[in-house]
Amino acid sequence: MNPLIFTTILMTVLLGTMIVMMSSHWLMIWIGFEMNLLAIIPILMKKYNPRTMEASTKYFLTQATASMLLMMAIIINLMHSGQWTITKVFNPTASIIMTSALAMKLGLTPFHFWVPEVTQGISLTSGLILLTWQKLAPMSILYQISPSINLNILLTMAVLSILVGGWGGLNQTQLRKIMAYSSIAHMGWMTAVLVYSPTLTMLNMLIYIMMTLTMFMLFIQSSSTTTLSLSHTWNKTPLTTTLILITLLSMGGLPPLSGFMPKWMIIQELTKNSSIILPTLMAIMALLNLYFYMRLTYSTSLTMFPSTNNMKMKWQFETKQITLLPPLIVMSSLLLPLTPMLSILD
Amino acid sequence: MMTYIVFILSVIFVISFVGFSSKPSPIYGGLVLIVSGGVGCGIIMNFGGSFLGLMVFLIYLGGMLVVFGYTTAMATEQYPEVWVSNTTVMGVFLLGLLMEVMLVLYVLKSEEVGVVFKFSGVGDWAIYDTGDSEVFSEEIMGVAALYSYGAWVVIVTGWSLLVGVLVILEVTRGD
Repeated sequence: MNPLIFTTILMTVLLGTMIVMMSSHWLMIWIGFEMNLLAIIPILMKKYNPRTMEASTKYFLTQATASMLLMMAIIINLMHSGQWTITKVFNPTASIIMTSALAMKLGLTPFHFWVPEVTQGISLTSGLILLTWQKLAPMSILYQISPSINLNILLTMAVLSILVGGWGGLNQTQLRKIMAYSSIAHMGWMTAVLVYSPTLTMLNMLIYIMMTLTMFMLFIQSSSTTTLSLSHTWNKTPLTTTLILITLLSMGGLPPLSGFMPKWMIIQELTKNSSIILPTLMAIMALLNLYFYMRLTYSTSLTMFPSTNNMKMKWQFETKQITLLPPLIVMSSLLLPLTPMLSILD
Repeated sequence: MMTYIVFILSVIFVISFVGFSSKPSPIYGGLVLIVSGGVGCGIIMNFGGSFLGLMVFLIYLGGMLVVFGYTTAMATEQYPEVWVSNTTVMGVFLLGLLMEVMLVLYVLKSEEVGVVFKFSGVGDWAIYDTGDSEVFSEEIMGVAALYSYGAWVVIVTGWSLLVGVLVILEVTRGD
């Protein structure tokens, strides 16, 4: 793609999300979402083959439907409150429709079906942008309307997302689909605590973005999109293999790595609000996630899978130098002692 | 009839939307889009927005739909689908019509309609005094405000349109 056009389109994606996060008028928020959607389509379609076109079409259809539902909720809110500012959404109908629309944008169950298919059809870098940057805008709106969200619907969607994210990822060998299901599960954790303490949602979002960025960059560096290809990284860059192990364990939520911080805080906040069964169920279902991360580490870092001798020399393009990778790895594994600093997110 | 003109126009609006949602060939879809655009203009004008209604005709029908018609004519097939050529298309169209007829009967017969939001039967659709101030019309002042207080909206929408063109060119360029 022409570099000037690419820069313009990338900046428009950024601008769209910024408009969503900074606006106080519902219409501008909707415009921001549409701008974001429009500009990310050519980024998803960077490589021009039928798979990316299909993935972009699926993404466009689901997100456009979600934007339509959002517009309907905005208009119902306008009808009942007579104003366009972002505050609590006073009408329950509008609130439910808006929650569903934002859940469609985030990829929460039962609207999660597009996430693995779209993530699988696009390149690793586009998948990175899709799973991290695109979650910021809907989450910021959920944060702003959090006092008025119907708790039953949100918690149902959250718990089902954690279940689907864990269960659906079990049978996958394609790394992008694994990351997609991991994203669904993490979104579930984030929205579960939204009504109780939106600060923890932001904390979880921050840690999740760091860990997902790290994972994707490790995949990009070893040019691997399948488990088999990842299991050959010991050959080219043995240090990356160890780092994949640590980051995956962090994503699974194991102490003393930083991925434990959001889960710990969320479970603590939920139990403070006298719900015991829910966080227990959530923690148990997070084990499903941990299982397929562990399977990745088993095949990548812990064992050398039996393979023929000619497959042991991994063929890939020249290793890219990703400057951001070492700080990201450090941040996504060693942040746990900094937990008291989450008060800056208030 | 003139009291209920907005209701009638809205029903025709929905029927023409059903007409192109049942997916005949795009040429015929454009045909009912013209009808729906004209009817939508009528609805806006009945609320006092004469400027915006004419804007619909001029820009939407006279600009965008003309370009759409030309591009569809370039990409058309030998036997385009009409509403009666394909059973599926006709079935969906009739189903949409049936649902609209049932909704209209519901609105006409009952005192209050509460589907997603409540409104009181046909009475809510009638044109009363819309409450604009006597000196100037609200709608023209809205357009004027768009260019003074709402400059940011103009910038954002202008940028969206520019990026829309760039995106479409990029997507259809191929390799």
